[in-house]
Amino acid sequence: MKPCTLDAVTIAAEVRAGRLRASDAVDSCLARIAATDDRVNAFTTVLDTRARARALMVDSKPDRHTLPLAGVPFAVKNLFDIAGLPTLAGSKIERDAPAAARDALLVRRLEAAGAILVGALNMDEYAYGFTTENSHYGATCNPHDLARTAGGSSGGSAAAISAGQVPLTLGSDTNGSIRVPASLCGCFGLKPTFGRLPRTGTYPFVASLDHLGPFARSVRDLALCYDLMQGWCAEDPGCAPRAAEPVSAVLDDIDLGGLRLATLGGWWREMADADALAAVSLVREALGVTRDIELPEVARARAAAFLITNAEGANLHLPDLRTRADDFEPLSRDRFLAGALLPAGWVQQAQRVRRRFAHEVAQVFDTVDVLLAPATPCVAPLLGTEWLSLGTQRLPARPSLGLLAQPLSCIGLPVVTVPVWNAQSSAPHLPLGVQVIAAPWREDLALRVAAALAREPWCRAPIAPLA
Amino acid sequence: MTLTPAQIEALVRANADALGLRLTPEQMPGVLRYVALAADMAALVDGLPLGRDDEGANVFVPVAPAARE
Repeated sequence: MKPCTLDAVTIAAEVRAGRLRASDAVDSCLARIAATDDRVNAFTTVLDTRARARALMVDSKPDRHTLPLAGVPFAVKNLFDIAGLPTLAGSKIERDAPAAARDALLVRRLEAAGAILVGALNMDEYAYGFTTENSHYGATCNPHDLARTAGGSSGGSAAAISAGQVPLTLGSDTNGSIRVPASLCGCFGLKPTFGRLPRTGTYPFVASLDHLGPFARSVRDLALCYDLMQGWCAEDPGCAPRAAEPVSAVLDDIDLGGLRLATLGGWWREMADADALAAVSLVREALGVTRDIELPEVARARAAAFLITNAEGANLHLPDLRTRADDFEPLSRDRFLAGALLPAGWVQQAQRVRRRFAHEVAQVFDTVDVLLAPATPCVAPLLGTEWLSLGTQRLPARPSLGLLAQPLSCIGLPVVTVPVWNAQSSAPHLPLGVQVIAAPWREDLALRVAAALAREPWCRAPIAPLA
Repeated sequence: MTLTPAQIEALVRANADALGLRLTPEQMPGVLRYVALAADMAALVDGLPLGRDDEGANVFVPVAPAARE
């Protein structure tokens, strides 16, 4: 079996045992990238030289048998700093920025555990989008159907997993940018609690909403990667001063008997098509869930996230909006310009609504441990799709892909996205993700439920053949 | 509170002037559309009655000297 088809835990175990060289694992991934990325366009930079040098170092390390990610190739959304390269964040403008002096903190933490960075991944410009239709670097295509979107804004991060290019990637999620591409590409994704993972050394989109997290082809890979990235960092004011709370060990306990589970209704039914509802039904049935819960004021929470995103995201770029607005991505330029102009009162009211919604949902978690909801309203649309039909509603496609994710990141809940196959009637060859949602700081519960679901034959992250 | 297209345009022109943003004729239709969308969102958040204790979510974190990783 080619190393690039293995999950991270398996690669690391093989390298630690001396049955696989880190160099062979890296070469296998680089060969797969070379063979497939002309069609997928997940990578914006491939770090052949750095990765091969690093692999030789891992192979020669006397203590490699102690490294939890020994020889595991991984890649990161191109908003993570990589020493020696400008941090593009999907933009043309940042090509002129000075090169990063050092790697982002999470890259350093993974490499300290033996992992090997092989490249940077495509994204929507400055993370403002859900489709990775990037005019500067080209669209990332969905490996399971190249005519369709991979989702975004971490589209390259999900597509690289589903194309079998690397077993592990990192992305960011402000309003759904891990969950949407994980859903559309059919892989596992974890958006931890807001404040759990430090964002030091990454290009922000909306600092008060940005989260970082991993994508993988197995739940155990998500958990291991997440464990190795935990730990407070003073340089990120949004990072909560909490000790690491490792979760990998709890995956062995997949007896869910004591957990109170429910499906989200209301907004999450109204904004979902038949395929999305079928995916949730399959999960609900597998877990024996009988309860439905509606959260209060979801539309207002989503509106709050929209306003905070628009205003704070735009303010970050105000100097460039003043002097070179036409160098922005055409799909987002006017949204950034508009965001810069919003009255302060709208945005401050949105921050207060956000806090109120968080309190309301905390009360709901007194009665339930884990909530289930579709991650996207539909399967991956064709690239270039302008409109979505949901029941009687006709909605703009690109922003609407995040409708079911946005209210949850607005209040920082941890969410594991699990891929569901064979539930969708309109496009049986495509997956659709279900969000497994827990109360803040309870990633362990969401991962336990995800691990239980991953025993089902329809909950998996297959590699697209791309023959 | 719903804003009319004329009110949206007045807001855009006034705030663009205040911020030193020079909007081109090509940019203006998109900007007006997105500000109108934001105004709809603002009406939604404005419709929720809030009290004295409904503090904003943007809380300042004091900066202490700390070792860098």
